[in-house]
Amino acid sequence: MSKNKKRKIKDLFLNAVTYLSSAVSLVTLLAIIIFIFGKGYKLLNFNLVVENFESQGYVADLYDTGLYCGCNPTIALSDEAFYSQKWGIALTDTLDLLGKTVVMVEYVHPDSPFKTVHDKGISGEPIPMRTDYDIIRIAFDAYPTALSRYGAEAMIDALEANNSIREIEFETEGGGIRGSIITTLILIALTLALALPIGVGAAIYLNEYAPANKITRTLRMFIETLTGVPSIIYGLMGLAIFVPLTVRLTSATGGNLISGAMTLAVILMPIIIRTTEESLKVVPDDYRQASLALGASKTQTTFHVVLPSAVPGIMTSTLLAIGRIIGESAALVFAIGTAIKDDVSLTGKSTSLAVHIWAMMTDEPANIELSATIAIIIMVIVVLLNIFIKIITSRYMQRKLGASS
Amino acid sequence: MSNQKNGAFVIEELNLFYGTKQALKGINLDIPKNRVTALIGPSGCGKSTFLRTLNRMNDLIPNCKVDGLVRYHEEDVYAQNFDVIELRRKVGMVFQKPNPFPMSIFENVAYGLRCQGIKDKTILQLAVKQALIDAALYEEVKDRLKESALSLSGGQQQRLCIARAIAMAPEVILMDEPTSALDPIATAKIEELINELKKDYTIIIVTHNMQQALRISDYTAFFLMGELMEYGETSQVFSHPKKAKTEDYITGRFG
Amino acid sequence: MTTNYQKLKVRSTARGRITDRIAKTIFMSTAILSASFIFLIAGIVLIRGVIPFTTDNLGIGRVSLLRFLTYDVWLVGETFASNLYGVGFIIISTLFITLLSLLISFPVGVLTALFIAKIAPKPLAKILRTVVETLASIPSIVFGLFGAGVILKLVYDFSSSIGYQSKGGNSILAVVLVLALMTIPTITTISEVAIRSVDKSIEQGSLALGASKTQTNFKVVLSSAKSGIFTAAILGIGRSLGEATAVSLVAGGRRAGISFDILDTTSTLTTIMLEGLKETTGIDYDIRFSVGLVLMVVILLTNLILNAIKRKVGVVNVKE
Repeated sequence: MSKNKKRKIKDLFLNAVTYLSSAVSLVTLLAIIIFIFGKGYKLLNFNLVVENFESQGYVADLYDTGLYCGCNPTIALSDEAFYSQKWGIALTDTLDLLGKTVVMVEYVHPDSPFKTVHDKGISGEPIPMRTDYDIIRIAFDAYPTALSRYGAEAMIDALEANNSIREIEFETEGGGIRGSIITTLILIALTLALALPIGVGAAIYLNEYAPANKITRTLRMFIETLTGVPSIIYGLMGLAIFVPLTVRLTSATGGNLISGAMTLAVILMPIIIRTTEESLKVVPDDYRQASLALGASKTQTTFHVVLPSAVPGIMTSTLLAIGRIIGESAALVFAIGTAIKDDVSLTGKSTSLAVHIWAMMTDEPANIELSATIAIIIMVIVVLLNIFIKIITSRYMQRKLGASS
Repeated sequence: MSNQKNGAFVIEELNLFYGTKQALKGINLDIPKNRVTALIGPSGCGKSTFLRTLNRMNDLIPNCKVDGLVRYHEEDVYAQNFDVIELRRKVGMVFQKPNPFPMSIFENVAYGLRCQGIKDKTILQLAVKQALIDAALYEEVKDRLKESALSLSGGQQQRLCIARAIAMAPEVILMDEPTSALDPIATAKIEELINELKKDYTIIIVTHNMQQALRISDYTAFFLMGELMEYGETSQVFSHPKKAKTEDYITGRFG
Repeated sequence: MTTNYQKLKVRSTARGRITDRIAKTIFMSTAILSASFIFLIAGIVLIRGVIPFTTDNLGIGRVSLLRFLTYDVWLVGETFASNLYGVGFIIISTLFITLLSLLISFPVGVLTALFIAKIAPKPLAKILRTVVETLASIPSIVFGLFGAGVILKLVYDFSSSIGYQSKGGNSILAVVLVLALMTIPTITTISEVAIRSVDKSIEQGSLALGASKTQTNFKVVLSSAKSGIFTAAILGIGRSLGEATAVSLVAGGRRAGISFDILDTTSTLTTIMLEGLKETTGIDYDIRFSVGLVLMVVILLTNLILNAIKRKVGVVNVKE
């Protein structure tokens, strides 16, 4: 029976290789998740989402002089923190994102006079003092200025020794992704506004109106070939056509969100057309014929009978499109640019979340932590989108099966 | 009839369940060697299910439970460490719809041998040629052995499947309604082939066509609702059925 | 029936007909617009891409097409002042890298598909399928980040352990690994569909002949699904050739010299397009379109060749 033995060994080997191969996907996914969560978790906080990317310096003073806190901290402070009971503020020595030693605000008591400070600069606005801001110096009336160079403990001692401060100079932490989030949202809205009408319209034409002849087949083929074009080439097109176009028509001076959205719209078009067509196909012909037999026009039939049934499919294609927009990087690098901005305008440059990662990773030095944090946000959104898509398609399937049973 | 030395298969008290539904009830049967045994009965009576217990193809169906004895060469095929693969080599099967592999004619017939580990080209060529001859197909395909098996007609494909099974040098050939998907001429060819084959093989054939059973089988087993109603020599079962239900089926009163 | 009613009927049908015609025209124009984009893209890349070869490039001089396609060095001379560009070595590197990554992703992808479709118990198959779908929806920049953070380190450690000094891990090996990981989900999903659609009776036929389940899977099921699996490979290759941002974070930006040493840095057609994009103008800007043109030609040619092979593989049933 040695032939059998040989076969059994061969089978075992093949099975082992198969199991190993399947493990690769699982291991990869786990590795990616562990990596981005491990690296990015530290920076994941609400400040990140609302802060500017550029750190901003302020010179400010207190609103109420003569008001003190005299309070204890409401949370547990770290061992390296120095706390002033008089003022209700805790400072610590730490490294900033560039590796420089800075004095950082670790905690501000709600009753502390430092909670909201008054901008001595042009705006004169109140500025909230947030944790993670860096204090550069605190100046007093008849006392040597406390500089960050001397460390957090010295600064706290100086605070305790004084009953009034002249001014405080500090820096917001920067690294916020607010600009990129806004950009991403604008891109999604604009792109969908452009791509959905054209895509759904084309799908309706192909499925409802077009005769089954060579011309239609050629049209379909041209649309299908778009899917084989890598996104970087779309970027080239955006750069060469849409950027000059928008520069001509608006106040833009280079890559801008509109040209970016137009480029993305072209990328998404074949996907939207395909998904919408599929959902249009599922609508039974009986519906159409019933409507026409009642004397409704073709247009009425399309809008009142066919499209509503195809809505789940259109929703699915929208969700797919959103996922694609959030993840797209190469095309936008060309079609908009890589300048991270805090004030976002339609005619100005800015980065989407994905391009933000690209810009940071191609900088010197590459900022992996912040990139990983953004990646977490992107991944969570993408996974949620996928779940929604699954819910829609399964409910849609159930309804269809129920209808035809 | 129940001489164990002459029996290819001896079945004792066979019960089969698909989950909670019982498909075979207390089957007792001896299948004689080198004869054609036909299994007849209305659809859903369990004849195909029974056929598949003989080469344990039922194992592929989830939730399928078998108890009772199915003896082949004195051994219970459902025993703990029974070599199913060896069983299937000795007990070949031809399916209702011809199912040749998407490979060349030669490769189809050689497939089982290759799986056994036979690589020698000369051996394979001889075996394939002989199997095709025994299946009455060789003359028609001898010049195009490297062509795809899918280019053959339905009847030819079925004979190819028979050749494929014969190439394994089995002792028993199970046939599950082998001609129901074929036209009358192809059917006739295969029935003729079966008559030739029974000299060397035990053949068990499921058929819903009673004329076919009459034409080609030596013994007939009539199944009804999972039970073996009657079993005996074909001539006797058809002319003097012992049970009323058998007579009803044969005369076409139902089924 | 009053005349009023008949008039009403005629009016509404006439209006209906006009609306229909307008609607049809609108929809048709969106379809034609969608179909025209491919020409827009091909056209603009062609026009801009050809400029360096046909014009004077503002005094710098024409770029020689032959040299461009065959030369071993990306740029000889000063940027913005020289016309001596060459992508020859990059074309070869790109193809080499794609081939290597396919050598990994194809077997792994197909076997994973086989596992999910035929071998794994239902709950495990469902989990694995979700895993693969999730991997497929991860944006390429995240893969690039993963590559820069994890794979570079692995390659660097590996290379130092065998005594080779790699440039921070940036290497052909790193690119191949990242591309392979990105392509596996694509190949798996399409192959799984192909494997699932193999007729069950063929499987049963094989088992009835005494073949083991593994033999059946490898000898019959995989070969029956050949055509779909081949399509999966073609799509995988397309994705590898076009991948840009993920690859550029691990490639190392090699600017000259063809190398097949997997621990050497490299460039691909896409990464060279991305390089130094932040400040570029003039000929350096136009030349990227030329590279894009080359990329499109390469993709087109590989698709044509592979599809021709696919047709051959499907028609003639090759001996096992």
